[in-house]
Amino acid sequence: MSSGAAVGVRAEKLSHRYGRRATGVDGLAFAFDGHGTVAVTGPNGSGKSTLLRIIAGLLRPTEGATTVIVDGRECPAARRRDFLGLATPELSFYEEFSAMENLAFAAEARRLAAPRRAADAALAVVGLAARAGDRVAAYSSGMKQRLRLAFALLHEPPLLLLDEPGSHLDEAGRDAVREVVAHQAARGLVLLATNDPREIQLAERRIELRGHGLGDPA
Amino acid sequence: MPNAASSSAATVWAILRKECRSEWRTRYGLNAAVLFAVTSLTAVTFSAGRMPDRPDLLAALLWITLLFAALASMSHAFVREMESRTLLLLRLVASPTEIALGKLLFNIAFLLVVEAITVPLFLVLTGAPPVRLTQFLTILGLGTLSLAASSTLVGAVIAQTRSRGALFAGVSLPLLLPVLASGVAGTRAQWDGMPILADVRLLAAYAVALLGVSLLLYDHLWED
Repeated sequence: MSSGAAVGVRAEKLSHRYGRRATGVDGLAFAFDGHGTVAVTGPNGSGKSTLLRIIAGLLRPTEGATTVIVDGRECPAARRRDFLGLATPELSFYEEFSAMENLAFAAEARRLAAPRRAADAALAVVGLAARAGDRVAAYSSGMKQRLRLAFALLHEPPLLLLDEPGSHLDEAGRDAVREVVAHQAARGLVLLATNDPREIQLAERRIELRGHGLGDPA
Repeated sequence: MPNAASSSAATVWAILRKECRSEWRTRYGLNAAVLFAVTSLTAVTFSAGRMPDRPDLLAALLWITLLFAALASMSHAFVREMESRTLLLLRLVASPTEIALGKLLFNIAFLLVVEAITVPLFLVLTGAPPVRLTQFLTILGLGTLSLAASSTLVGAVIAQTRSRGALFAGVSLPLLLPVLASGVAGTRAQWDGMPILADVRLLAAYAVALLGVSLLLYDHLWED
């Protein structure tokens, strides 16, 4: 859909609070353009997932703004979903459907030209092709995590937001994550929220959220 | 490149198909709705017998049966997405308006299936007098549209609240009262041989107003 598009992500004076509690996203400012991988690190509760949700257009920040630029044009928050893929532990699938049915539905809703082919390709990338027909209810935690990655890759977005992508994964799964990140970094941008040293090593740039009002780009 | 309207239509269609497939697999709502309708109609018929000369009671009984049979299930359209944590998936592939329109179309289809089973059963069990088909179907159709629109709107609004079940009943009641009142009055009028135009107008205006408000509101839902 948006394969190979030039993408940039920017934040200005970005802050977010849940009630009175501030996350580490407080006065955050950054600008990343071009290809590559950016690690978003910080202690639990520092706002890593919150930052990804704000960039995805799912959460309105308390203050400040984020901008996603695709091919030189600013992408409105309501259309960002077309240009980004998000894999987060909060993402669940329809358990009464198979992995293939879940992804085929997502591809149809995203208006992809060949939904089943796109689903097939995404499932193959994460090593789930052989279990594509199994209902998600029968999937293990690791298989569901692979399915989240496949969901994020489905429409080949130029911007990939991965929240703890290696959680629940075995070594083969972690290899798949490394391959996905390397492939995406060559054609777009990856934001990787993690505290896993092996995943941090995949990034050449880093945003460190220090929690409780100390967040700023490293 | 397809235009925005046809793109949205494709997304709404995908959501509608997903809803239908999910209901077919789980029978989450249909079994409960039909069971409620059959049980309540059977109980009333055993207790009160056939009542062909009481169109006032028949009209009320028909709409109460439809209302509760449908609402018990339709209220779950968004609640299920919240409880199974799949709303995020939907939000990542469709706009709130597209999601809500897909749900609305499913709720209309769901109500039509429930009515296709319930209404003939109702007419037979209660010994209702013959209906004036055009008038009866007009009232039923507009009532169905209003019921589906209001339950979809309320379901969407309360989806992220904590006491969803209690809120659904509380918020739905004032929205549904005009539908119920006009539906009952119009159904009774067609049995009594009276004009139904006033009730049709009210139901149609209410359905249009509900749909208009819904379309204005949906894109502002779920902004955390």
